[in-house]
Amino acid sequence: MKRITIISGHYGSGKSEISVNLAINNKIDYLVDLDIINPYFRSRGLADLLEEKNIHLVESTIKGMTGSDLPYISGEGVVPFVNPDITAIYDLGGTENGARVLIQFLDRVKDLNEIDFLCSVNIFRPETADVKGILDTIAMYEAETQLKITGLINNTNLINETEEVDLIRGEEILKEVGKKLNIPIVYTVVEETKKNFNHEFLGERITLIRYIAKKYL
Amino acid sequence: MAKVLMKGNEAMALAAIKAGCDAFYGYPITPQNELPEYLSKHMALNGRVFVQSESEVAAINMVYGAAGAGARALTSSSSPGIALKQEGISYMAGAELPGVIINVMRGGPGLGGIQPSQGDYKQITRGGGNGDYYLYSLAPESLQEAVDLIKESFDIADYFRNPVMIAVDGLIGQMMEPVTFDNETPKWELEPKTWAADGNRSNREKNIINSLYLDPLMLEKHNLKLKAKYDVMRDKHQRYEMINVKDAEIVIVAYGSMARIARTSIEILAEKGIKCGMIRPITIFPFPDKAFRKLQDSVKNILVVEMSTGQMLEDVKIANECERPIHFYGRVGGIVPEAEEVVSQVLKIIGGEDNA
Repeated sequence: MKRITIISGHYGSGKSEISVNLAINNKIDYLVDLDIINPYFRSRGLADLLEEKNIHLVESTIKGMTGSDLPYISGEGVVPFVNPDITAIYDLGGTENGARVLIQFLDRVKDLNEIDFLCSVNIFRPETADVKGILDTIAMYEAETQLKITGLINNTNLINETEEVDLIRGEEILKEVGKKLNIPIVYTVVEETKKNFNHEFLGERITLIRYIAKKYL
Repeated sequence: MAKVLMKGNEAMALAAIKAGCDAFYGYPITPQNELPEYLSKHMALNGRVFVQSESEVAAINMVYGAAGAGARALTSSSSPGIALKQEGISYMAGAELPGVIINVMRGGPGLGGIQPSQGDYKQITRGGGNGDYYLYSLAPESLQEAVDLIKESFDIADYFRNPVMIAVDGLIGQMMEPVTFDNETPKWELEPKTWAADGNRSNREKNIINSLYLDPLMLEKHNLKLKAKYDVMRDKHQRYEMINVKDAEIVIVAYGSMARIARTSIEILAEKGIKCGMIRPITIFPFPDKAFRKLQDSVKNILVVEMSTGQMLEDVKIANECERPIHFYGRVGGIVPEAEEVVSQVLKIIGGEDNA
């Protein structure tokens, strides 16, 4: 895993849950919530849990503002780009407006090789259901952020209704995308309730625990 | 089309397109913004009309205009924005115009907050504007139900020539769930819109869309005509689901997201050997009072659970006709009750600690 991982993708592609899982599993120093798009289901609700695990959550500068319609981002978000000893995960918001937030940090980047810019894809999201849709999404993110996507995350799921063949179909589509852009599938996400999926998926497997969406959802 | 994973607001927007919605007019507000955002792109792709109006008041009056011309029109907003639309909604009911209004509720009163709430129950079910009118109001508990009801709602609005309200809270708007748009939904027998002011220049008499009746006798006649429609809704079109009520000792009454949470509570209680059922109103107007007459003698208590300080509670009291003690549990301010909270309330009632 590179020192800095930025997770992008359409809203609903699982960015926040993946970010939290990766941060916890890999004992990352900083989790930076750059999501200014979603009013609900954001990683910034998880400050206590992350603190417990020694992960510093960078969110709004105003405490207790999870219900704010003005989702400020603390200036602390730049720290991992300045301090080479800190590992970080950046959780971007969906849509082009969510991606644009990243640009402010880019003039601080010293070594692009330290950064993975991943795109999370769920082929059950209508906008990214096929190769063309995914390529268009990636092109949009690259245009908005001026960064190249370096890898893909196969997060194909229908929540509780996901079947192994769905993930395999997602992998087939992403393989084609990867071939066209010359980038790998870095992770495949399998819900913890679907641990019995034995297929050897491409990339590292993330056994996903849903920290943000509560059980009743 | 097989199932897809969608966010509630997007799914509701697409359902409206599938229902043949011709035109959307709206103004942004959290937590329903993905709905107009989705339509801003997809209405154009489908050759329909999308207008981001200058205000909520403008939006509902554009719906009035489009509906008056015979179009299937939609607006959406969240609580404070819906409050602003009340004048236009009353005018629509008065002018007998169909239309669909989606309310993705957030906390109030006033600007309140952006987290989920069911605090608009009275505004929705009592008619938030002036005069004697009601909205046929549907309160889905899942994205799939929201999609299916919205697909049908335009038919219902046309059938009654009356606005239909889709009442959900922010959770339904923001959550992701697998949905299909292929479910068959009931088809209503609709008359051609011969009343529409659609620019028809043939020899028919001109159509006028209006809610002004200066002659009291004429207005009374009009009011009674509207009442007859609401009576039909009450008599024939109550919708509800009765869950696990057979032999239940206690019954929860909850709608929308709250019903969804209560389902989990019922499962937890079953594990503890307690038979708890639920009446889930799907229409909140007309309120499903018929469901209460079907309850067996085994039911000793009723617990109303809402994300409000107790608004539907009054309808339950009316429907209950003093048959059983009624208890209440609610969280407000955008806090969503957890299944366990409802469980402990049920345990308290059964243990005699909560006297209604």
